[in-house]
Amino acid sequence: MNAVQTLKLTKEFDSLVAVDGVNLEIKKGELFSLLGPNGAGKTTTIRMLCCLLKPTNGTASILGHDVVKTPFAVKKLIGVSPQDTILSERLNCWENLALIGKVHGLSSDEVARRSEELLETMGLMERAKDQVRKFSGGMKRRLSIAMALVSDPQVLFLDEPTLGLDPQARRTIWEYIAGLKGEKTILLTTHYMEEADFLSDRIGIIDEGKVVALGTSQELKTNIIEMRSMVVSTDDLTAEVMEDLRNKYSRLEIAKGKLEIYHKDLDFKEIVDYLHSRGVTVYSAALEQPTLEDVFIQITGKKLRD
Amino acid sequence: MKFWEIGKRNLKEIYRNPVLLGFLLGMPVAFMLVFIAAAGGGQASPIGMSVVDEDRSQNSSAFIQTLGSIEAIDLNEPVYSQESQAQKDLDEGKISFYLLIPSGFQAAQQVQQTINLELVYKAADPMIGLQIKPIIEAVGSEFLGVAPPLNVELKGTESIIKNPAVNFYAPGIAVYGFMILISTAAGIIAGDREKGFLSRMFTTPARPSDFILGYSLPFIPVLIVSALVYLGVGMGLGLTVVGNLGHVFLIFFLIGLCAIGIGMIVGSLVKSESQTGVAWIFIVPMAMISGAWFTVDRMPSAVRSVAEALPFIHAIDASRAVLNGSSFSAITLDIYWLIGWAVVLFAVGIVLFRRTMVS
Repeated sequence: MNAVQTLKLTKEFDSLVAVDGVNLEIKKGELFSLLGPNGAGKTTTIRMLCCLLKPTNGTASILGHDVVKTPFAVKKLIGVSPQDTILSERLNCWENLALIGKVHGLSSDEVARRSEELLETMGLMERAKDQVRKFSGGMKRRLSIAMALVSDPQVLFLDEPTLGLDPQARRTIWEYIAGLKGEKTILLTTHYMEEADFLSDRIGIIDEGKVVALGTSQELKTNIIEMRSMVVSTDDLTAEVMEDLRNKYSRLEIAKGKLEIYHKDLDFKEIVDYLHSRGVTVYSAALEQPTLEDVFIQITGKKLRD
Repeated sequence: MKFWEIGKRNLKEIYRNPVLLGFLLGMPVAFMLVFIAAAGGGQASPIGMSVVDEDRSQNSSAFIQTLGSIEAIDLNEPVYSQESQAQKDLDEGKISFYLLIPSGFQAAQQVQQTINLELVYKAADPMIGLQIKPIIEAVGSEFLGVAPPLNVELKGTESIIKNPAVNFYAPGIAVYGFMILISTAAGIIAGDREKGFLSRMFTTPARPSDFILGYSLPFIPVLIVSALVYLGVGMGLGLTVVGNLGHVFLIFFLIGLCAIGIGMIVGSLVKSESQTGVAWIFIVPMAMISGAWFTVDRMPSAVRSVAEALPFIHAIDASRAVLNGSSFSAITLDIYWLIGWAVVLFAVGIVLFRRTMVS
């Protein structure tokens, strides 16, 4: 049984199709990212999985429980950190955590134990007794994630967990999420490709409501990127060498003493050995790693942050 | 006990919000102080009156002197000898009205003819004429030695009410205070929905009934505290409680429930917290026609029947009556009316609030 399973999940708002026939199978313990630009349908998908929105078509289930037919069974299993940091502003950290913990049916002792643990890990213990309205964005986000975790949910939904945070705060949250891998099934949405790349077991690229590519970061990069590139720093290329290379690879470019070679498959050693064998000095050489951004551009023809 | 946790949270959000609390409790208390200060206690200030004496006779000046000796009148100096000057001052707003003693005053008096006095005031300020006419009539008949055909003597019944103004204003303004709960309750619900807090809570296993109880129960301690504060302030100002204080409390409690019910309805209908300001379009007129701030005994019957269909006038009338000594049987109908409204409003509130939970 999959932790999260959707079949042709669709949500239409009037004339707009926000989510269009999404099929997902997320295994227990997996960290799955939905990567896509703003408005791609990530949050709408999560809202349907959390029983906040009724799908127009298709089905979705969490650990076998249908989100439409048995919403309360689903709600018992999930923890949600919404995209906008939503806290009870005049409560302190303990009280916010206790509220969520207790509506999930935890005892006072359990709530206290879990809260202490989470406040420690999230580095919020020092300010735990302050009303949270005075907190910085990063602190609020950490508490919001802690609130999603306090009930010890089996499936965790993190909607843009690091949106709008500075790089340092983002790093802290990444490390914490990485620490949860394997323990919890996590569905994370993001429009930061580094985030998806760094954290995910598998990534679904979503655009205009459709999942357009699915796989591990490596799979996406190798299967989808048609052209790889290598940059070689050198200055004594002969016309003969250039001619040889041009015959062998798809495209060559020379700019500012740098030679760029493009081809579907590139072998670093083969190229460097060839240049050496022809007496060409190589100062440096690097095989460019494709990014998820490249994958996204390849598939959709547009940039992630347009 | 999930509702308990939600209720606890809401109560904390209320009592830790000084602005909200100040508005909820402070406004009615301030109103009470102002109204009671304006209405009661000290002597009313005398009315400044100007006189035009066209007769310029012994009798006319004696009459003016008599007028000047009346406590309720403050005679403006000097006395005009020509109306044109007084008319000019009236037009320019220097004086608010004048009394014209026409020539022939003394002559008419001597032959016992009808004497005509004119009271000239701006039509835009009609209250002046109404207030001053009976005073002049009384002074006039006494001065002329005319025995009035009928002598009406005002005689308040023997009363233990120390300060009638307080007994009038305190219950009305207390009920107005409960009407403020409408906007408070609506604001909390609409705000939580607008900010997404309700959505977040809807991803937890809490049931609709938990939310309904969690968003209405916390207002019960609020309304109990409000009732105590209003009664306390009223007593501090000299409120006399003749009837049963428990009955007053019951009335306040019921009208408070009605207000919470309306608040839930408004909070479920509006789209944002700022839109709950719309509630004031109803709160202020309802307070007015229900007699929260002044007597509505002489209100046109159409308006009166609107007011009587609503719960507020019943709460105000009944609590005033009990404070002044009415027994429970005298207010039973009002109580039934309040219970009926509370039930209906809560039922509608619950239905609408439930509807906001699924989309």
